[in-house]
Amino acid sequence: MKAKTILDVIGQRTTSQTGNQILSKRGRLAVALGIGTLAVAGPIAYSIQPFWVYLLVQMLVFALLALSLDFIFGYAGLLSFGHAAMFGAGGYAAALLIREVTASALVVLPTAMLVGVLTAALIGWLSVRARGIYFAMLTLAFAQMIYVATFTDLPAMILDTAMITGGDNGLIGIQLYELFGIDFRNRLNYYYLTLGIVALSLAGLVRLANSPFGRVLQGIRENEERIEFLGYNVRRYKIIAFSISGGFAGLAGGLYVPFQSVAEPGLLHWTVSGELVVMVLLGGMGTLWGPMLGAGLIVFLEDRLGGVESWEIILGSIFVAVVIFAPRGLAGMIIAVRNDPRAALDNAKRALRNYLQEVRG
Amino acid sequence: MVLRAMGKRSNRSESDRSAIETVSRRQYLASGAAVGAATALGGCVGGSGGGSGLTVGFALPFSGTYAMLGESIVNGFDMYLEQNDGEINGEEVETVERDTEADTNRGVSVTRELLVEEQADAIVGPVSSAVAMAMMDTIKNESSAIWLNANAGDYRVTEQGCLNYHFRTSFNDWQTSAPLAEWVYNNVADNVCLAYADYAFGQNSKNFFSEAFEEAGGEVVGEVGAPLGTDDYSSYLTEIENSGADAVFSFFAGSDAVNYVTAFTDYGLNEEMTQTGSGFLLSEDTLPAQGEAAMGMYSLLHYTPTREAERNQQFVSAYTDAYDSSANVYACQGYDSAQAFAAAVEEAGGSDPDEMANALSGMELESPRGKFRFDPETHEPIQDLHVREVVESDGEVPVENKVVNTIEQVESPSWGCSLN
Amino acid sequence: MVETIVRTALLGIQYGMTLALIATGLTLIFGMLDVINFAHGALYMLGAYFGWVVASTLGSFWLALLLAPLFVGVVGVAIEVLSLRPLYDRNPLYHILLTFGFAIMIQGAVVELWGGQTKQIAEPASLAGTLTIGSFDYPMYRLFVLVVSTLLIGVIWLAVERSDLGILMRASAHDSEMVDALGIDVSKVFTGVFVFGAVLAGFAGVLLGVSRSVNPGMGFGIIIEAFVIVVIGGLGSFRGAIYTALLIGLVSSFGALVASTLTEIFLFVLMAGVLMVRPNGLFGATEAT
Repeated sequence: MKAKTILDVIGQRTTSQTGNQILSKRGRLAVALGIGTLAVAGPIAYSIQPFWVYLLVQMLVFALLALSLDFIFGYAGLLSFGHAAMFGAGGYAAALLIREVTASALVVLPTAMLVGVLTAALIGWLSVRARGIYFAMLTLAFAQMIYVATFTDLPAMILDTAMITGGDNGLIGIQLYELFGIDFRNRLNYYYLTLGIVALSLAGLVRLANSPFGRVLQGIRENEERIEFLGYNVRRYKIIAFSISGGFAGLAGGLYVPFQSVAEPGLLHWTVSGELVVMVLLGGMGTLWGPMLGAGLIVFLEDRLGGVESWEIILGSIFVAVVIFAPRGLAGMIIAVRNDPRAALDNAKRALRNYLQEVRG
Repeated sequence: MVLRAMGKRSNRSESDRSAIETVSRRQYLASGAAVGAATALGGCVGGSGGGSGLTVGFALPFSGTYAMLGESIVNGFDMYLEQNDGEINGEEVETVERDTEADTNRGVSVTRELLVEEQADAIVGPVSSAVAMAMMDTIKNESSAIWLNANAGDYRVTEQGCLNYHFRTSFNDWQTSAPLAEWVYNNVADNVCLAYADYAFGQNSKNFFSEAFEEAGGEVVGEVGAPLGTDDYSSYLTEIENSGADAVFSFFAGSDAVNYVTAFTDYGLNEEMTQTGSGFLLSEDTLPAQGEAAMGMYSLLHYTPTREAERNQQFVSAYTDAYDSSANVYACQGYDSAQAFAAAVEEAGGSDPDEMANALSGMELESPRGKFRFDPETHEPIQDLHVREVVESDGEVPVENKVVNTIEQVESPSWGCSLN
Repeated sequence: MVETIVRTALLGIQYGMTLALIATGLTLIFGMLDVINFAHGALYMLGAYFGWVVASTLGSFWLALLLAPLFVGVVGVAIEVLSLRPLYDRNPLYHILLTFGFAIMIQGAVVELWGGQTKQIAEPASLAGTLTIGSFDYPMYRLFVLVVSTLLIGVIWLAVERSDLGILMRASAHDSEMVDALGIDVSKVFTGVFVFGAVLAGFAGVLLGVSRSVNPGMGFGIIIEAFVIVVIGGLGSFRGAIYTALLIGLVSSFGALVASTLTEIFLFVLMAGVLMVRPNGLFGATEAT
């Protein structure tokens, strides 16, 4: 009964892009195919140019991070402008654990995830009373507090020890994981570890999104009052969803830090959170897979444009163009082309015409 | 990552864009004009490395507020190459630029890219110490290039890293602070207030200074740390004034230095106390903006473009001719990185990183800054440091640094590093 | 002791008023247009650079103060007409992405045109020197900034809260179709508001470019602080932004005195504290998306 009503709420939505179900059967097939392709592409890339594998790992880590944000933002409608906090918390947890206790991936990665969950639970618990932009700004505030505390090594100051977070230099020389004797110095192995975790995370979050729990979240996004009225504890749902999302962000941090060999305050800075929002919007929010593409694309562009002057102007122009002409992001474009490949050109023409009309007023 | 570099309050500065354009263009020519555009975007057409030719990778900031430092270092390096027809030891030299955005994680990625994809024989950079600290692991793991550290001065690169491949072609934070203490005590005042940008570099500098100052017999009567990137120093100046000190020792750099020095003089503190500091407080990148507010302030640095020495004047005028902008400490560091690389390749007879490192250890170079050599124990430079006073100038910029004292061949502590 | 407190309070008010200049434009644009303008800091920076160009080529600070904001206004028109106008009915989130893009572009363009080197606008000779208050020297120029920004904000206050123009602006924000039906071109009102915000940011850039350094990072440096102010005050609330700017100014200057290394954190602690007690900010009446 309840579930049906929620579907009603969701059904009211007119802007819905992919229907109520996240990923249709065909979509799932496409994602599985994509992961398979990546698995095969790894060794090929490695044999041509080993650096490409580094780049791929980085793209995957940020894809996971964007996925975690889309779950809470695109899917449940809570704009977190402080996701860097969970990313960094997971990363620092991994760094400290590897330095002081063990480098076993079986211990460290789940801990990084747990630390992400706890950080998110705390921030979420303090923030969910506010809505919309106010919620976003609260998450930003807490994330920035953690950033400043890390940058100034406040924990060490309070506990009166020499160093905990390492201040602005951060924690350096973080070694790679140990797992079943696999040599992760061969970056191809690290690539597979990352790919495996990212694939599992995606599968898990899609499943969750399509579960009754996911329906409630979607309902909250569409009409919070109605869901509340139906007797759900909206606040609790939000905190739980935010914590789950934070767990995956923490996991991404746990994957990133040993790979980069450093945990530094930059991981926690608001610009990381801002960039994540950009990745999600560019990829197409609410689709889970779109933001992953968006993240991969931005990491790729940034790396490849790194030797070109004025890349800031190029990147900025891309953002502006996407918002104006492709507001549903990469996912929207892909869906449109898939639905009707021949109409793609006409659509583009129409978008341009509409734009010119609007500008003229 | 993109945005991180921007949002991060930066504290340094920049300059001449036309110069870098020529550099980049030359870079493309060197890597084959035909694939120029593709290299620019893809950067992955065949890479370089292998076979003949030498590759130098610049891991420097080229965007944001640190851009000028990166460009000056590249200009200096390039000028040396040009003077030698683009060749070292009979081999053509290709240079590859990668923007670190002064961001730590970006710095790690860029270093990896230069080492693995571009097969660089030498890494030149970075500008920020945090980036340098994070790069250490990658340089060590790849063990495929020497590292010419052209600006990052944190002493902990030596203390914690102590890498055989690492050579500081610039300075360390001890050198630009501690040696000034005795001079201040003897010539300025027996008590100081410390004012610094509150991050690793600023903290190191003030700690080194205060240690040396107390050792000399002086007294530290106040300490004021301001967050990196502070816009308005008004309230911090109240604290400095209330300390009642006769002199101030400061570490601020770039736009922080401009904001601080301007406010210091605006509030008339320059009439009550003498401002001294690490050289970056009053450097060629900040003086044009600080202008007359900087008059009469003292600072310590290893390079001063106005220093009267033939070698230096040659460098300064050649630089001005080539890039239509005035030489600065960063350009000198870039130039010396090129000199060091050339010397290493020639001495080692090739680009084997271990042989190059052995060749450079203890080597002496003739630099625009004067003679300097790499300490065999730490690979830190042993060099002259100049106490400079800001005086009036009849040039384009109304003020300039004038060397008032030279502390000769300063050796740094070894911080437990023993490479020899 | 008393003197230190008075002095610190004065410095805090001065700092607060400069923040208010920037926050005012931001809150007006949000209040009327429902646009979260991430490029606001970039426009402020652009004002400082234009001011520097004018002042150093024409040799007059006063011309810079007059012309530079107008140039920024022109950039504002371009942004509003070419990109925001077609997007008003979209989810405000897209405005973030859009203006974020502009902020990056403007920063890149500034580095491209003038390099990243720190600049400073020359102080007008007539405002050099200091004024002695008690035993304390107060720089004339900073006093001038304090007076000008206070006057300017006073005028805007009257315009927004009391005049017909203000009523029209608020009406357009509230029910644009109704205003449209009355024969008033709402899109012109929107352009006007956006450009006004841009001009104000540009003006602040020139004004502050004398006592602070001009560099490409200054826009991103100020934007978060400005946002925090607008949010604490209540999004779209004009009064809220001004009171909060003053509050933040005082908190920062006293904070610097008490625990200088932690001043940065105060801002966020304050915001979190306020929003947890009043989820819509101090003066925020309605809920924002």
